[in-house]
Amino acid sequence: MPQGDRPDGAVLTVSEVAVRFGGVAALSDVSLSVQPGTVTGLIGPNGAGKTTLFNVISGLQTPGRGRVFLYDTDVTAMKPHRRARLGLARTFQRLELFGSLTAAENVQVGLESGVQWWRPRHLARRIPGRRRSADSPPDRSGPARVDAATCNRLLEEVGLVGVGARHSSSMSTGLARMVELARALAIGPTLLLLDEPGSGLDDAESTVLGDLLSKLAAAGMAVLLVEHDMELVMRICDRIYVLDFGDIIASGTPDEIRTNPMVQAAYLGEAVPDSAASPPAAVQVPVAGTGTATTTATATTTTDTGTDDGAAR
Amino acid sequence: MSNFLQFTIFGVMFGAGYAIAATGLVVTYTTSGVFNFAQGAVGMIAAFTYWVLVSEHHVPILVALVIILIVGASIAGALVERVLMRRLHGASAERPVMVTLGLMVILTGVATVVWSPTTQRQVGNMVNGQFRLDGINIQYQEVLIIGVAAAVAVGLRLLFYSTRTGVALRAVVDDPELVAMAGASPNRMSQYGWILGFVMAALAGVLLAPTQTTGLNIEYMTLLVVNGYAAAIVGRLKNIPVTFAAAIGIGLAENYIISYVLPHLPQSLVPDITLALPMVFLFIALVTLPSVRLRAAGRLSTVRAPRVAGGKESLIGGVAFLVVACVLAAIFNNVQFQGTTILTLGGVVMCLGIVGLSLVLVTGYSGQISLCQFSFMGIGAFIMGKVAGGGSLLGLVAATVICAAVGALIALPTIRLRDLYLALATFAFADAVANGFFVDTHIYGAGGLTVGRIVLPGLSFGGDASEFLLVTAFFVVAAWIVLSIRRSLFGRRMLALNDSPAAYATVGLNIGITKVMAFAIAAGMAGLAGALYGTEEQVVGTSNFDFFSGIIFVLFVTIWSIRTVSGAFLAALTFVVLNQVWANGLGIFAGVGIILIGRAAGGILGLEALQGLLPWVRRSAAEAGESPVSPLGGTAVLRGETRAAG
Repeated sequence: MPQGDRPDGAVLTVSEVAVRFGGVAALSDVSLSVQPGTVTGLIGPNGAGKTTLFNVISGLQTPGRGRVFLYDTDVTAMKPHRRARLGLARTFQRLELFGSLTAAENVQVGLESGVQWWRPRHLARRIPGRRRSADSPPDRSGPARVDAATCNRLLEEVGLVGVGARHSSSMSTGLARMVELARALAIGPTLLLLDEPGSGLDDAESTVLGDLLSKLAAAGMAVLLVEHDMELVMRICDRIYVLDFGDIIASGTPDEIRTNPMVQAAYLGEAVPDSAASPPAAVQVPVAGTGTATTTATATTTTDTGTDDGAAR
Repeated sequence: MSNFLQFTIFGVMFGAGYAIAATGLVVTYTTSGVFNFAQGAVGMIAAFTYWVLVSEHHVPILVALVIILIVGASIAGALVERVLMRRLHGASAERPVMVTLGLMVILTGVATVVWSPTTQRQVGNMVNGQFRLDGINIQYQEVLIIGVAAAVAVGLRLLFYSTRTGVALRAVVDDPELVAMAGASPNRMSQYGWILGFVMAALAGVLLAPTQTTGLNIEYMTLLVVNGYAAAIVGRLKNIPVTFAAAIGIGLAENYIISYVLPHLPQSLVPDITLALPMVFLFIALVTLPSVRLRAAGRLSTVRAPRVAGGKESLIGGVAFLVVACVLAAIFNNVQFQGTTILTLGGVVMCLGIVGLSLVLVTGYSGQISLCQFSFMGIGAFIMGKVAGGGSLLGLVAATVICAAVGALIALPTIRLRDLYLALATFAFADAVANGFFVDTHIYGAGGLTVGRIVLPGLSFGGDASEFLLVTAFFVVAAWIVLSIRRSLFGRRMLALNDSPAAYATVGLNIGITKVMAFAIAAGMAGLAGALYGTEEQVVGTSNFDFFSGIIFVLFVTIWSIRTVSGAFLAALTFVVLNQVWANGLGIFAGVGIILIGRAAGGILGLEALQGLLPWVRRSAAEAGESPVSPLGGTAVLRGETRAAG
């Protein structure tokens, strides 16, 4: 996608983004777009550059080349907090909760993020108008205070009941991930970046998560999802991008991706058949959990493994 | 021209000394991730030991060097790494800073006890004689220092790039696990780093000792290395050649400024500017540093937050505290202790308590390390004495506002950088203010600055009891404000920022504003405390806001608990009591205390054993945590490891 050529109405447009760590190319000319009201998947083996791309989009990593747009605004040089104020929220692969605060307070910090603390009136005016999630439209007549009940309600929306008063440092990984998701939703995002939200969840919980994301998308939110749980990705994504060695090697609907030989090769480490232009219909991407995909992919990308971690450290 | 050559040689010589010390800092930092604030103190001990061996006991110089460098510094470096540093792995970021500061005050404390400051100690040159070059005399000692520095530079280069150990030393901070997988022990590499760092600190101390023409001074020798900080920062704490070049550049700049610029300025300013130069260099170095990239740490804070008293509870606590203060004021009115009244000492406790509260706010809540709260206190007292003839309410307001503004100015250049740099900037600021600004006779005057008691229409605070109660009331209000801030939106934000700057930014919050606000509020509080301290003591002088006392007080607060109001009060109380009983031992107490408390982030008040005994330091009731139920049935505790807290 050439710079400046942005799909109509896209919430997020990443255009020819490249990141290098020393001599290693973490991302090379990555372009993608995310439409409102859709869940877009970003899959790829460990170390493919998914977290680095999230860092570029959210402003934690400056790309060597390329541009990032939120709607029509070029945010490439914008600080992370300014991007968040434009409606971008994210979660982290490795948890980034506020460990000395309770779960409810974590959400509260998100809910109050637009408040300038030295202007109490600003708080009263701003809070009721904030969207608590995509399916609860802005409520401008509600109470002005962000109390524990409001925070707990938001926690309940992501499936957490009775955890508001618990300190996030004493939570299990899966539980903490959901608190992080609730905190991200608390800022009322139009674009939500989720970095492996399903890891640490069991099958039933993963299903609840999938339903929640579909519901958010149905209400108009754009969701970009990095996930190793292929079943979840194939079930809820409208479109999927496949990243390998810092390159987008395929994109399309879940059905197209499932049958794409390049994807097959990236995941199983097999050579791409000569007839790549006309993929065999029978090829199946392993979808039964992360086992096959992750293990094999790690073996094929050992040189790149450190890059993602390095970026996230 | 010959003058220029002379200044250049002096500049290179001092620069070479700074370079050795600074590369030592960088080596320790790159191998262990710890910035050793005790680097200067190690050099000071080496210099004094050299004086004892060579000047007092006439040990041959080479033997003395072997004893100090090969035996003493190496063993000390290895021990410090093994006993103090290794157990800090994974501790909160402020802890290694505090422990190395603890080491620094132990060393200076021991030095003060062993080597009385009243004795003149002059160290002779290692090599005597001189030669003439272009009309000037050059001493062989100067050539020796430059030569040793060059040898150190070459030696380190060879070590790091041509030996297996050197490569492992460079790699260990990047990824200790990878180093371990490659067959080298990260712990051993870290130990080598500390040994090298100590040896180089000692070498710098021994080489620079003969240049101290007025004799060895504990404080001056300890802080001589501050110039090395700026060099190490220019080298971004990892690049040894750049650090080396920067140190030489700083040595030259310092000598040129002293030789060419200062003679044209009013002579009264010369000592101030000379002592402020390291600070100026450090700030220039900080401003030139590129912003640090926000990184997701991927590590949850495992420090359990202390329980925060509710609004009504803190109000009741405050009133109870005031009632107790009234009773004490009645009991101890006019009772003397070691030449001063108990109530004056009590008032000092309250003033220091407010300084402690400012540390709770800035370090305990927002996670920024400030080592210059005593400087703000000194500035506050100075303003109090100068505004409206002293003792006015206007003075209190001016002290608070001006100190807050100065605080914001100090924090501004460092908000883009890692927290360590703020600690360094405040360290340098404290040094410059205490040893440059405050010692100027124009500031406090030769006999001290008269501040006087506060005068209000119809109210007199001339008596010790009324003054004590006034200052106590200020402490109670300050504590109430700190607790209110903690419970407020801003309090949650400070804690959130402390826990995860990356998450903080990605929920749409501005890191810089929060950091500067927290620092400025704390600076204002310390300024207010200083103004009140001035009214309590009535006359303040240079020694009241001494550099080392400021560092020691930070350690006291950390030992008790830097996250609680009780910690701030108990730190102030024990500091004042110990200062009356054995002032010289304060540093040793603080250093040993911080080492004993180790990585326990909650300090003494956070210790598990005390939780049942002290009701007001109970942990959050929510910690017990009822078993949550998820809508899916069963517990909502999802799969994954349970994180241990504590």
